[in-house]
Amino acid sequence: MSGSRPAAAAPPRRRRRRTVGAVCAALAAGATLSASPAWACEVPEGFMRLASPEAEIAYRWVPAGPKVGRLFGAEVIACRAPEPGPPSRLVLDAQMPAHGHGMNYRPTVAETGPGRFRVEGLMLHMAGQWIVTFDLYQGDRRIRLSQTIELAP
Amino acid sequence: MRRLAAVVSLLAVAGAALAPAARATPPDAVILGEAERAAVLAHGPWPPAFTPDPSNRVSGNPDAVALGRALFFDTRLSGDGRRSCATCHDPARAFADGRDRSLGRDRVDRNAIALANLRLNRWFGWAGAADSLWGQSLRPILDERELAATPQQVQGRLAADGDVAAAYRRLFGAGLAEEEPLLALVNLAKALAAYQETIVTPRTPFDDFRDALERGDAAAMARYPAAAQRGLRLFVGRGRCSACHHGPNFTNGEFDDVGVPYFAAPGRVDTGRHGGIAALRASPFNLLGRYNDDPARSTAGPTRHVEVQHRNWGEFRVPSLRNVAATAPYMHDGSLATLEDVVRHYSEVDIERLHGDDGARILRPLHLSPREAADLVAFLRTLSAPLPTAR
Repeated sequence: MSGSRPAAAAPPRRRRRRTVGAVCAALAAGATLSASPAWACEVPEGFMRLASPEAEIAYRWVPAGPKVGRLFGAEVIACRAPEPGPPSRLVLDAQMPAHGHGMNYRPTVAETGPGRFRVEGLMLHMAGQWIVTFDLYQGDRRIRLSQTIELAP
Repeated sequence: MRRLAAVVSLLAVAGAALAPAARATPPDAVILGEAERAAVLAHGPWPPAFTPDPSNRVSGNPDAVALGRALFFDTRLSGDGRRSCATCHDPARAFADGRDRSLGRDRVDRNAIALANLRLNRWFGWAGAADSLWGQSLRPILDERELAATPQQVQGRLAADGDVAAAYRRLFGAGLAEEEPLLALVNLAKALAAYQETIVTPRTPFDDFRDALERGDAAAMARYPAAAQRGLRLFVGRGRCSACHHGPNFTNGEFDDVGVPYFAAPGRVDTGRHGGIAALRASPFNLLGRYNDDPARSTAGPTRHVEVQHRNWGEFRVPSLRNVAATAPYMHDGSLATLEDVVRHYSEVDIERLHGDDGARILRPLHLSPREAADLVAFLRTLSAPLPTAR
């Protein structure tokens, strides 16, 4: 017999795979949670996540969708970091590797809560590939996360 | 969707070529790829909608435009009563003066920028020393090399003119004679700005092509000269011109070092953007100051965040290319006489001259063939059309 099969009636192998997947996801979530201190993020809708082995942030651009030559800002939430306690400082910068230059503007960063930051004064003044770096500081320790943006003309 | 639109436009062009009607596509018409099409469309639409400048409470006010127009041609704004704004920004010369470097009371270091589409600017002047059009309008009035007037001179002369004084009172709610002289001059500069905001370049053959491309109108696209189409493709493609000459106004509004000498005279450097940022910060007329009419300082973000960097030495404004054929000579010092010279400059640009590690790596010699150079010039010429005010 052919045709569609109700999901509940998945063959044993697929069911087993799903179970293993769910356990892995739960373990991963547990690992994240166990490493997450009280300041860990509760990410509102519309935020993007950016992670490395050391750290994880959630962020969104304000307004959404940076455009060439328009000032914009960001909201950044630190979700995970190597040391106990939230990062005390964030430095956000952007470079255009193909052209060998960065921004013409220096953004300002304000801490709005433990591990939460509001950034103002970003401007990407050319179309093309930009590398945005988020430097989180815990004391003297810097943890860098970076994100590539392809800015349309 | 974009890919589909590109295919549709290609099919439309091909369809026009195959149609039995006489309107055949030129055999050397350019077929634009998806990325090229997107890049071309980004240079429009034109003209942009007008939005008043919140830092200038008379921006868009017809009475301010009328007063500003009168002041623009008024020699009472100069110390010796012999020059006006129009001396260096002549409507008959596309609001420039045709000289390499302008001649006010003295010969200045820079070329007169053609005054058009100024409402779109973030920064003003070759070095961006002003962050508003009214702030920029003040500068030449007070500059000793240009109009060389004082606020007291201007106020005294214009307050004695009944028409000007009445217009001033209507616009600013105070008597011109009783106003604090510097504030009076700022307000007059705001009227000058209101007038200059109305100088907008008209639609051009390029705009017709760009809009035809957007709607897939092959017949209209075919009316755009093939040489200009090839030049346009170079402009948005291998030439990478549109990286800086971006958007509908063909400028990203920023500054770059493009290898033009920055010695204003032997042994004297024009500091360019580096000095421009310093002057901006020191100016009492910048958007962070008390003369900004917008309590929210909603347009002051760039002023608040602009950063002076070593590479700003030798950087000058990326000028708009709209009406470029009418605004020779070119570059901040007027050192290139023709569009052909400009294209040759970029074709053979001296990368050793650019700032080593600090310089932008976007520039490299294009080594254009004679036909490619001619195509690029042909394209640039299609960005021009006579200004209504200059007719």
